[in-house]
Amino acid sequence: MSVIDGSAPAAGTLAGDTPHGIGTSVPSTDALAKTQGTYPYAADLWAEGLLWAAVLRSPHPHARILRIDTADAAAMPGVRAVVTHEDVPGDAMHGRRVADRPVFAHDIVRHHGEPIAAVAADHPDTARLAAAAILVEYEVLEPVTDPEKAFAAEPLHPDGNLIRHIPLRFGDPEAVGEVIVEGLYRVGRQDPAPIGAEAGLAVPRPDGGVELYVASTDPHADRDIAAACFGLEADHVKVVVTGVPGAMGDREDSGVQLPLGLLALKTGCPVKFVATREESFLGHAHRHPTLLRYRHHADAEGRLVKVEAQILLDAGAYADASSDALAAAVAFAAGPYVVPHVFVEGWAVRTNNPPSGHVRGEGALQVCTAYEGQMDKLAAKLGLEPAEIRMRNVLSTGDLLPTGQTVTCPAPVGELLKAVRDADLPPLPDGDDESQWLLPGGTSGAGEPGAVRRGVGYALGMVHVLGAEGTDEVSTATVRVHDGRATVICAAVETGQGFTTLARQIVQEVLGVEDVRVLAPDTDQPPAGPSARGRHTWVSGGAVERAAKMVRTQVLQPLAAKFGMSVELLSIADGKITSYDGVLSTTVAETLDGKELWATAQCRPHPTDRLDDTGQGDAFVGLAFCAIRAVVDVDIELGAVRVVELAVAQDVGRILNPRQLAARIEAGVTQGLGLALMEDLRAPRGVVKRPSLTGYALPTALDAPDVRIVKLVEERDVVAPFGAKAVSAVPVVTSPAAIASAVRAATGRPVSRLPIRPQAAIVKPQA
Amino acid sequence: MSTYAQQTAENVTLPSSLDEAVAALAAMPSAVPVAGGTDLMASVNAGLLRPAALVGLGRIAEIRGWQYADGAALLGAGLTHARMGRPDFAALIPALAAAARSAGPPQIRNAGTLGGNIVSAAPTGDSLPVLAALEASVVLAGPEADREIPVSHLLTGMDPLRPGELLAFVRIPLLHAPQTFLKATGRTGPGRAVASVALVVDPARRQVRCAVGAVAQVPLRPLEAEQWVAGLIDWDGERTLAPEACTAFGEYVAAACIPDQPGVELPPAAVQLRRTVAALSRRALGRALA
Repeated sequence: MSVIDGSAPAAGTLAGDTPHGIGTSVPSTDALAKTQGTYPYAADLWAEGLLWAAVLRSPHPHARILRIDTADAAAMPGVRAVVTHEDVPGDAMHGRRVADRPVFAHDIVRHHGEPIAAVAADHPDTARLAAAAILVEYEVLEPVTDPEKAFAAEPLHPDGNLIRHIPLRFGDPEAVGEVIVEGLYRVGRQDPAPIGAEAGLAVPRPDGGVELYVASTDPHADRDIAAACFGLEADHVKVVVTGVPGAMGDREDSGVQLPLGLLALKTGCPVKFVATREESFLGHAHRHPTLLRYRHHADAEGRLVKVEAQILLDAGAYADASSDALAAAVAFAAGPYVVPHVFVEGWAVRTNNPPSGHVRGEGALQVCTAYEGQMDKLAAKLGLEPAEIRMRNVLSTGDLLPTGQTVTCPAPVGELLKAVRDADLPPLPDGDDESQWLLPGGTSGAGEPGAVRRGVGYALGMVHVLGAEGTDEVSTATVRVHDGRATVICAAVETGQGFTTLARQIVQEVLGVEDVRVLAPDTDQPPAGPSARGRHTWVSGGAVERAAKMVRTQVLQPLAAKFGMSVELLSIADGKITSYDGVLSTTVAETLDGKELWATAQCRPHPTDRLDDTGQGDAFVGLAFCAIRAVVDVDIELGAVRVVELAVAQDVGRILNPRQLAARIEAGVTQGLGLALMEDLRAPRGVVKRPSLTGYALPTALDAPDVRIVKLVEERDVVAPFGAKAVSAVPVVTSPAAIASAVRAATGRPVSRLPIRPQAAIVKPQA
Repeated sequence: MSTYAQQTAENVTLPSSLDEAVAALAAMPSAVPVAGGTDLMASVNAGLLRPAALVGLGRIAEIRGWQYADGAALLGAGLTHARMGRPDFAALIPALAAAARSAGPPQIRNAGTLGGNIVSAAPTGDSLPVLAALEASVVLAGPEADREIPVSHLLTGMDPLRPGELLAFVRIPLLHAPQTFLKATGRTGPGRAVASVALVVDPARRQVRCAVGAVAQVPLRPLEAEQWVAGLIDWDGERTLAPEACTAFGEYVAAACIPDQPGVELPPAAVQLRRTVAALSRRALGRALA
């Protein structure tokens, strides 16, 4: 359903039809297996004599555990082991950024679904029954579920309820604009809802160690957490990454991996776990529900003078990635606009709500919804077109972010906005033939053309690329060439983002070798870091390129020396080595003469700073931007919204694989659409309601709009390998705000809450 | 060592006729009949239900089609939603076809059956308001004798399925007049109904019959509103209504289905639901009399 009318993809360097190298649509090697259902995911793992695990989870969001009695469960026939907090030999607390989360809750339960105990049995049903038979006596406590009340509430955790506070001060606090608009915005709890639920297999090793076969997106970090919890040296724990069935951020649920390993170590048998859909919803991290209060000041021409904001992130019970999300929210609070004076108070607080963590575009998405809502309000107040007021304020290279950081990377925000503004609008359906209409409300026929209003809205979004605030973003890769074939060893996890395809393209480009294999990652390889924020395109892709270039030099050096020319005058393509003048022509295989060449390289971008106590600092390595124009149809009586088209213009640096890039953008805007219109995991009083794919609606093909990629701006980022930027997160960030803007235009209602509920899009008849 | 392979495979019977199915149920009273399995198997997979045995109804050819009997259609309980959604069926009972087409994604429609929709009796079951508006009846095959009861008696639990009984057929009068089914889900893709309205015109009995689904445990019939609007229609003439009458009908239906609580203000969610029902009923009537 996508149309690319941007620049044509670069032609392959190779004759024939097979795409080859950077800039071409090299197909993914997994695609066929995934389509045919033969691709092995974690839930498909099997080992001889395996046991099945089940986890007992808390039914209460906040309670004191008075007693845990596992005797009945342990005595059940078929049960092989029961583990609780008493059976954790190593560190009882863990966490991705801050070790504040217990492996098993023992004195206090802090969220619905927190693991309390785990069972291994010879049948999955036995394991579940045994887990249910564990007797836990609770003293139910009043849950803190309103993040605004978390400040004054009794501490839910020894670390306190305030996880982080960033007061950003930029410019003159006394500055006042001629026009002032205020708004209160809320963003709901989006679940990453990976189509494959969490699963894994733990296999004990004869040396007392354990191997975890899990769909990890950051195997080395998961290994370190697991080793600390098991009380083992890191080299006694190996994490092997299995097929990842969807990842929208950190696909870590330590609540699964740690009990699995403990049970395998205790029983000496392989142990398998497959989460039910309900457990999956309860266990993994969600997008931060956020409350945002904004005041925008502008002059009479619509130029922004000052932005004041208060941003409150609901982190759930544990810190996880909330600190990073808050930094992004505060830094991008004003969006990709030039604002001379910015004052933001940002807080991430602890509550008894479901846990929040890294879901792509965290922080940046929530503020995009709010600042774009404010831009619409300013436009209405000043009588300007929504696109026009945005155009008067766009950020460009050389401008300052409110964090004091100068934007040094390409920032073609105005060009992106112009591209979506000037793109043709989708035609109205032919009024005579109602069967052509796909009306809001879908195929059930409830829609009535007379009640449908069309609206057009705009949003500009930005995200940072790579980890921020001093994170050491390093990756290591090894390239081996032997017998006409290249092998890439890199622990960067293929989550569907296309890293293995990219690695193959890079090696094809540099070494001219067609047959490139990428080995499956595990923790015996050097670390490559998490699959998030476009890291692997940058750091792992960069490491692969460097290693490939080192191998290339090793291949060419002897030849160059022999013929008395420099390496630069030789080129490799299609397995052949030729000199610039065509005199020399030989093949890679002949040159290698059966030798095996290896090279390992690292890529480490320039360091960044932590935001200081006024929110200032060069915290980001790179930025990526996106402009989206949404066209929606709204049934103003029923409040049903259908997104007709999303026109996307994106700053990509350089197109590495056109087809894969289009797929990432389509997937991203659709995920954003889910948040805009339907996805919200409800947890009244901290108890998750309807944790199933029936209760939690995800966009389907009928909900997905036509995604039109009108422009891909290829302005290379000179500090990035290949000049390419991360592409997956920024469409997710921008599309909800664009859809909200379009619903505002269609209904005249002040849509300020995501997802947009039908009652927010109903226009009451004039009485 | 794992016992996972020993699923209850031997406890599944697959009869090829209704009589065999009834006999199989009689032989094993704890067995659960399963047709499309779209509700039942989801519960089994979630571990909520562990039937001792299953009687699969998928191979009973006689309940997978339909036949005509005395101005009515006798629909097999095993008709799938996909089959009911096809044009030939839509020419026969348009509202039921529309309801079938709106029920879930294609995978569910290919498996889910009419009988299953009635027996599971979910408040959001899409065929149920249509059957209520059509005043359909159901034929139950049992160990003693078959019996036929109005569908509403089954749905309300007034006359529930007896042990050993199977839902075999659904009898629907053929009206040869406009009928509509409208469903609000709040989204464009397949979803459960927030509210749905089935409306049929019955020129022979000079009636308009309407049923509202998903707002209560069973489909609701706003009888007074039906009678009022039937009285406005010129049955021998054009059979059209002014837009104001359609609007008033919508309000009437909505107020009947979501009644005022004496002394209490309606919560916002109920006001919103009432508005939705009013819009759906108005549109349904407008289209039926267009």
